[in-house]
Amino acid sequence: MAFFGFDTTLPRDRDGPGAKGFFENPDPFADIARANALGDDDVIDFEDTYDGLGDQLPDDQDEFNDDTFGGAGPDKSVGRDFDFFGKTAQVSDAIGEEQVRFSLQNPNAGRVAPQPAQVPVQPTAPQTTKRSGYEKYSDPGYIPDLQAKSSVWGVSQKKAEPAAAAAAPSRKMMSLEEVEAQMRYHGHTTATPAAEAFLRSMVDQSWVPQPQHLPTRPDGFPPVHLDLLQAQMKQGHLPPQMPHPPPGMPELYGGPGHMPPGAPLHMMQNANLPPQNMPPPGLRHGPPQAQAQRPQQPQQPLQHQVPPPNRTSNNGMPVITNPQQLMHLTEEQRNTYLVEDAKRAKRNHKIFLLSRGNGLMTPQDKNFITRIQLQQLVAAAGNVADSDPEAVLAEDFYYQVYSQIRGAPRQHPHQPLGHFAQTYLLQTGNRLGGHRRGNFQSADNHMQRMQQQVQRAVEAAKAKPKNKQLIIEGSLGKISFSNAKAPKPMLNIKRPDSSEGPKPKKQSDLSLSDRKSILTNLEGVYSALMAMEDMERTMPPPPEEGDAEAIQEHMEWRQKLHSLNQKLWRSLKVMEPIVPNSTTPHPFIAFLSYPKGKKAIPRIFRHIDQEQRVTILTMIVVHLDSLDVVRLAQPVPGEAQPSLAVREAIDLFSLAVMPCLLGYVNEAPFNIIIGLLGLVINQTHVQTVARTKVGLGILTMLLSRAEIVKEAGQASEHDWQQWVEKFNVLFDTLELGLNEIFPGSISSGDDMYVWQFLAAVGIGASPEQQQRLVIAVKDRVMETVGYSKTLPADMGSQRLNNVNLFMRAIGLDVELLG
Amino acid sequence: MLFFSFFKTLTNQTVTIELKNDIRIRGILKSVDQYLNIKLDDIEVLDLAKYPHLSSVKNMFIRGSVVRYVMLPRSEVDVGLLEDATRREAANQAGKAR
Repeated sequence: MAFFGFDTTLPRDRDGPGAKGFFENPDPFADIARANALGDDDVIDFEDTYDGLGDQLPDDQDEFNDDTFGGAGPDKSVGRDFDFFGKTAQVSDAIGEEQVRFSLQNPNAGRVAPQPAQVPVQPTAPQTTKRSGYEKYSDPGYIPDLQAKSSVWGVSQKKAEPAAAAAAPSRKMMSLEEVEAQMRYHGHTTATPAAEAFLRSMVDQSWVPQPQHLPTRPDGFPPVHLDLLQAQMKQGHLPPQMPHPPPGMPELYGGPGHMPPGAPLHMMQNANLPPQNMPPPGLRHGPPQAQAQRPQQPQQPLQHQVPPPNRTSNNGMPVITNPQQLMHLTEEQRNTYLVEDAKRAKRNHKIFLLSRGNGLMTPQDKNFITRIQLQQLVAAAGNVADSDPEAVLAEDFYYQVYSQIRGAPRQHPHQPLGHFAQTYLLQTGNRLGGHRRGNFQSADNHMQRMQQQVQRAVEAAKAKPKNKQLIIEGSLGKISFSNAKAPKPMLNIKRPDSSEGPKPKKQSDLSLSDRKSILTNLEGVYSALMAMEDMERTMPPPPEEGDAEAIQEHMEWRQKLHSLNQKLWRSLKVMEPIVPNSTTPHPFIAFLSYPKGKKAIPRIFRHIDQEQRVTILTMIVVHLDSLDVVRLAQPVPGEAQPSLAVREAIDLFSLAVMPCLLGYVNEAPFNIIIGLLGLVINQTHVQTVARTKVGLGILTMLLSRAEIVKEAGQASEHDWQQWVEKFNVLFDTLELGLNEIFPGSISSGDDMYVWQFLAAVGIGASPEQQQRLVIAVKDRVMETVGYSKTLPADMGSQRLNNVNLFMRAIGLDVELLG
Repeated sequence: MLFFSFFKTLTNQTVTIELKNDIRIRGILKSVDQYLNIKLDDIEVLDLAKYPHLSSVKNMFIRGSVVRYVMLPRSEVDVGLLEDATRREAANQAGKAR
C-alpha cells in the first residue's frame, strides 16, 4: 500500500539488492572518510571514557529474566512499544521538516530558488486525509528512521553541492573516481571560503538562529537539536553522511580528517538554538515523511551521482545508513562497520564533551571579562597605558627623549615598557591576525573597540579624584587603598594653606642676587624654556586664508607663546636696573656664573627675538669684567693658570655662550657693534678684560665683524669714522699691556685665541698702528717661532700657523723671519 | 617614574650594583621594572673571594629594595636631558600634590 505515492514497503520486504530505503543512499564520501580514519589517533580512548560500571553488574541472577520480561525464545520478535524515543524523534523530525518547508515557502528565504520541485509537491499532500504522524507505527516491526542529519555536517558539503549539481544536473551516474575528481577540483575553489566561514563563525559565536540558512542544507534536513544528537550518540547510531573535508581544507583539528571540521561548530550552534525556533507541532500539515520525497528531486545531486553502493564501493563495503542494513551484511562487513561506528561514536562523544561548555558565555560576557583583565593590567602598569604622547612624555620623559636622541633599541614605536596594556593589545591583534589569516573584520573591530574602552577607562580613572580611603560604617578605622604608584600613606598630614605663607615673598624681596634666589630664577628660566619647547611641539599648522578657526587657534597659540616668552624674560632678570659700583653682581651676571645658567643660553637664544638678544649681549658686554669667567680668569700670582673649576667654567662659556653671541654679532648692524665697543671701552677695565680668553674673544668678535662690514662696503662714512675713533682708543689702551694678554709662559699651551685677536686688531689697524703692534709682540713672535722648532713637527707647525694668522693680517709671514 | 625611565635607557650597558649587604656585582643590565628590580646578565662579583657561593652564578634578578648603589657608565647619561627630566618630574609631583 502506498501513502501519497510513497513506497511504504519495509526494507525487509523488498526484493533485490537494488531496492533500498530512501535514506539508504550511500554516503559518497564515507569511503574517503574511512580511508582517512585508518590513521586516526584519538586522544580520548574509549577505555578512558568508559567507567566500567557495566562490569560490576551481577550477572548470576538472570535466569528469570525471561519470565519477568516475557522473552520466550530468540525467534519471538520484540515489540517496539517501549520505543518512546523513536516516537519522539519522529515527531521532532516532522517538526523540523515543517520548519524547513515553511522557510522554503517563505519568500524571504532567498536561497530556495534552486529547489523548485519542492513546491509542486505540496498541493498533492492531501489535507483531506487525517494524519496522526503515527502511521508508521501501525507496523509493529517498524524501526524509526534514524537518518543522518547532514545539516550537522553540512558546511563543506553545502559548498560542494552547487558545483556537483552543475556538473551533474541530470541523474547521470558517476563513478566514485569522477566524484572525487570533481570534489578535488571544486574543493580547491571552495575550500577556502568554507574555511573562512567556519573560522568566522567560530569567532563570531553569535548564537543567533539563522533560519534562512537551514533550507540551503543540501538535503533540506531540519536543524538538529542537541538532545536529538545526544540520543543518537547514545544509541551508538551515528550520522553516517559525514562529508569528507575537501582536499584544500586544512586540518584544523589536528587529527586526520575523519571528522569534518564543520561538525563541532554546528553542534555548538545547534545546541544553542532556542526551542521556539521550531514551529509548534500543531502547525505542521505536511506528511512527516515529506523529506522522503526529496531524494527523487534534482536538488539531491550528491546522492544521485553515486551509484548504488554494492557496485561502486571499492572495498566492497556498503555504506550503512540504516540499522536494518546490518542484517543483510556478512559477518566481516558487520564487524568492520561496528568498529568504524565505535570510532565515530568515540569521536562524537569527545566533541560533545569538549563542546559542553560552549555558549555558556555570550560575547558580551567575554568582552566584560577581557575588559576587567585589561583594566587590571593597566592598573598594574601604573596608568601609563594611554597612547597620548603627552602623557607618556610626562611619565617617561627621559627614556622617550633619550631614545629619540640616541636611537635606543626598541621593538616597535609604542614600546616603552610601561606601555603594558597597549603592547598587550597590539600583540593580541597580531596574533589573531596571524593565526586566523587576518581575515576577520569583526575581531579587528573588536580589538579596536576594546582598546578604546581601555583608553576611556584609564582616562576616567585618571580624571576621577581618587578616593584614597574608605570609612565603612561601624569600622574602627579607615581603610586605605594603596597601589604601586600611590603607596598607603602612613601619615596623614594636611598641608598648611598657602594663604599663611608670606615668607617666600619676603625672601625674594630681600635680595636678587643671593644664591637661593639666583637658583630660583634659574629654575624659573628652565621651566619657562621647557614650557616653550612644549609649546613649539604643539604648534598648530599655519592657518590658511579664510579659515577663521585655524587663525583663531594660531593666534591663541602665539599669545601663549608670547606670555611664556615674557615669563622667560622676567626670570632672566636681564632688565634689572644696573647698579653701578654695587658689591653684588647683577642678577643676570650671577645667573651666568652658574654652569646651568651658561648652558641655558643657547636654548634661550632660540626662543627670544633679536631685540632681546642684543639686550643680553649688551648686558654681557657691559659686565664683561664682572663675569666670573673674566673676573676669576686671572691666575693667582705664582700659579701658571687659573684653577680647574675656573678653566672648566671658561671652557663651558666658550662652548655654550660665545657661539650664541657670535651668531648674533655676525648679523648685527654696524652701529650696534660700534656701541658695544664703546661700552667695552667705557664701562669695563679693558686691560683686565684683554687678559682673559673670554674677554679677548668678545673683542675679536667685534673687531672682525667691523672689518667684514667694511670689506662689504656696508659701512657709511660717518659710522666708520666713529668706529675708527673707538678703535684708536682701544688700541691705545691695549698697547701698554699687549705682552700680558698672552696666557702664562710660552709653553703653557693654547694661545691661539690671542693670535686671533691680534690678527683682528692688525687687520683693522692703520699702518702706523700695525708697526706699533709688531714692536709690542715681536718678542713673543720670535719666542714662539723658536719654541715651535723644539716641538714635534705637527705641534710646532700648529704654533707657527697661529702666529702666521697674525703675521698675515699685517702683511707678513713667519717664513720671512727665517 | 623618573628612575625607571632613566634606568631603562641603560639596558644592555654594563653597570655595577652594590647591594645593601655590600656585595658588588658587575654585569649587563638586562631589564628594570617599576620597582627598580634589576636583571643582570654575565655577572661578575667583585671581591669574589669573600662570596664564593656566587662564583658560579651567571645572571641574577635583584630585588629593587636591596640595591644600595648603581654605578653607571658616565658616557651613557645625558646630563642635560636628565636635568630636564628631573625638572619635569618635580613639576609633575608638585602638580599631583596639589
